[in-house]
Amino acid sequence: MDSIRIEQAAADWLIRRDSGTWSAADQAAFDEWLEPTAHRVAYIRLAAAWRETQRLQALGAGTAPGELPRPNEWRLTPFFSPRRQIGSRAAGFRPPPVRLALVASLLIAILLGSAWFLLPRGDSYHTAVGGTQGVPMADGSKVTLNTDSRIRVQLTARERRVQLEQGEAFFEVAKDATRPFVVAAGTERVVAVGTQFSVRRDERGVRVVVTEGTVRIEHGDGAMTEATPAMIEAGSIARIAGEGVLIQEKPRDEVERYLSWRTGYLVFRETPLADAVAEFNRYTTQRIVIEDAQLAGVRIGGNFKSTNVDAFVRLLEEGFQITATRTDGVIALRAPRQ
Amino acid sequence: MQAPLDTWFEREILAHEGALVRYLTRIWPNRDEVHDLRQEIYIRVYEAAAKSRPHAAKSFLFTTARNLLADRIRRERIVSIEAVGDLEVLDVLIDEVSPERWLGARQELKRVAQAFDRLSPKCRRVLWMRRVEQLTQKEVASVLRVNEKTVEKHLAKGVRLIADYLFGSKSTSEATKTAAGEAQSERERGQHQD
Repeated sequence: MDSIRIEQAAADWLIRRDSGTWSAADQAAFDEWLEPTAHRVAYIRLAAAWRETQRLQALGAGTAPGELPRPNEWRLTPFFSPRRQIGSRAAGFRPPPVRLALVASLLIAILLGSAWFLLPRGDSYHTAVGGTQGVPMADGSKVTLNTDSRIRVQLTARERRVQLEQGEAFFEVAKDATRPFVVAAGTERVVAVGTQFSVRRDERGVRVVVTEGTVRIEHGDGAMTEATPAMIEAGSIARIAGEGVLIQEKPRDEVERYLSWRTGYLVFRETPLADAVAEFNRYTTQRIVIEDAQLAGVRIGGNFKSTNVDAFVRLLEEGFQITATRTDGVIALRAPRQ
Repeated sequence: MQAPLDTWFEREILAHEGALVRYLTRIWPNRDEVHDLRQEIYIRVYEAAAKSRPHAAKSFLFTTARNLLADRIRRERIVSIEAVGDLEVLDVLIDEVSPERWLGARQELKRVAQAFDRLSPKCRRVLWMRRVEQLTQKEVASVLRVNEKTVEKHLAKGVRLIADYLFGSKSTSEATKTAAGEAQSERERGQHQD
C-alpha cells in the first residue's frame, strides 16, 4: 500500500510546514519531496483539507477561549445560548490548570485594555443625510457609515458589538477568533470573523451584502431554540424581512454595485426608476416623488454622484422627456405629455 | 501562492473523489487496492492536465479511471475478466454514481464540522486549538503538556481523516469504524505514554 505511506508522508510535511520552525533547508527538502506527481497529488489533497478546517473559525465565533463545542452541539456554544452551561468537556481531556490561568490572565489583560475606550453604553456615531464617514475601531476594524445612519459601538472581552440603529454601514472586520464581531440590526444578528460585509436597515427589513469571508445571520429575537442560523458567503446578498431570510448569490460586480455608495456613487443597471428614486432620497433632504405610476417601472442605468440629485433629475428630463417640477424641496416627476 | 494547476485539481477533481471511490469500490474486487488505484488515477489526471487542461474534468477523471482499470485487467491478470465481468461494466454511467458538485460554502462548512466531529477527542481538541484558537503547535503542546511531536502526530492524523470525510471517499459506516479504531489505538498509545 504505497499510496498510504505517501499520504502519511504528505501529512507529516504539511504539519511540519505549519510548525513555525521551517528553514530554507526544510523548504529545499520539501521541494524535492514534492517533485514526483504521486507526492504532489497527495499533498494537494491534504493541503486542501487543511485549508478547509479554517472554516471552523466561523463556527468558533462566540466560543470562549479554551472552550471546545462538543460534537453535534455547535448551536449550543455560549454564543447561541448564553444561559446554557457548557461546562462538561470531553471526558478525560480537561485542560490542566495552567491553561485556565493563562486564559484568565489573558482576559484580565483584555479587560484592562478595553477599559480605556469602553463606555458603559458604547460610543455612538452618526452621519447626516448625504454624508458618509469612516469610523476606525479600537480593535483594528473599520466601519464606513452611509448616509443618515447611526451606530453604537461596544467592545468587550467577549464580543465586538455594533448596534446598527439606523441606515447602512460597511464593515471591514479585523481578525480575532476569540471575539466575534456582531452587528445587531433590530432583532437580527450578523456575526463575522475576519470578513467584509455591509448591513442595511430600512422599512423593508435588513439587507446584508458579503464581499469577503463568511458571516452568520441569526434571525429572530434570541429565542434560538430551533432556528438554524444562515451562513452567508462572499458574493451573496441576504434580505431579511419578517420571518424569512432570502439569500441570493450574485456575481462580483453586482455585489460591488450594492456597495458603490462607499465611493460616493450610486450605480444602477436596469434598475426600476422607483428604486433609483428611493435610493436617491436617502442621500438628500429634498424629496423626489413619482407622480405618474407608469414611470415607476422605467428601467434606468448609469453612475451618479449620490449627493447630486439635480444632475440625476436633469438626466431624466433629457433622456426620458420626464417633466420635473420643483416646489418646496419636492421634485415631482411626470411622464411626457403625448 | 498556489499553482493554477493545483487549484484546478482541487476544485475539479478532488470534488469528485466520493463518486470516484464509489465507482472503484463497485467495480474492483479487491478493496484494499482502491486507495492505490485512486492515487494512480490522480497521478495520471494531474500529469495529463499539466500538458493540457481537459474541458470536462469529471468525465476526464472517469475516463482515466476506466482506462487504468482496463489496463490493469489486461496486463496484470490479477483479476480474471470474469471476476470483474465484461469490460463494458467499466462504462457505468458516471451519473449513476451519484453526481457530486463542489458544495456551496454553507454546506461545506457543515461538512467540515461533521468531519471534525468524527475525530477522536484528542485529535479534535488539538485541531481546534491550532485552527480556531490559532495557537502555535508549540503553544498547543505546552497547554496540553505534551511534546510537540505528539501535537504534530494528532494534526497529521486529523488532516488525513478530515480529507477522507470531506472528499467523501469514506462511507459513513467506514468512517465511523476508522474513527473508532483511531480512538482505540490512541487510547492504547496513551496508556503506554502515561
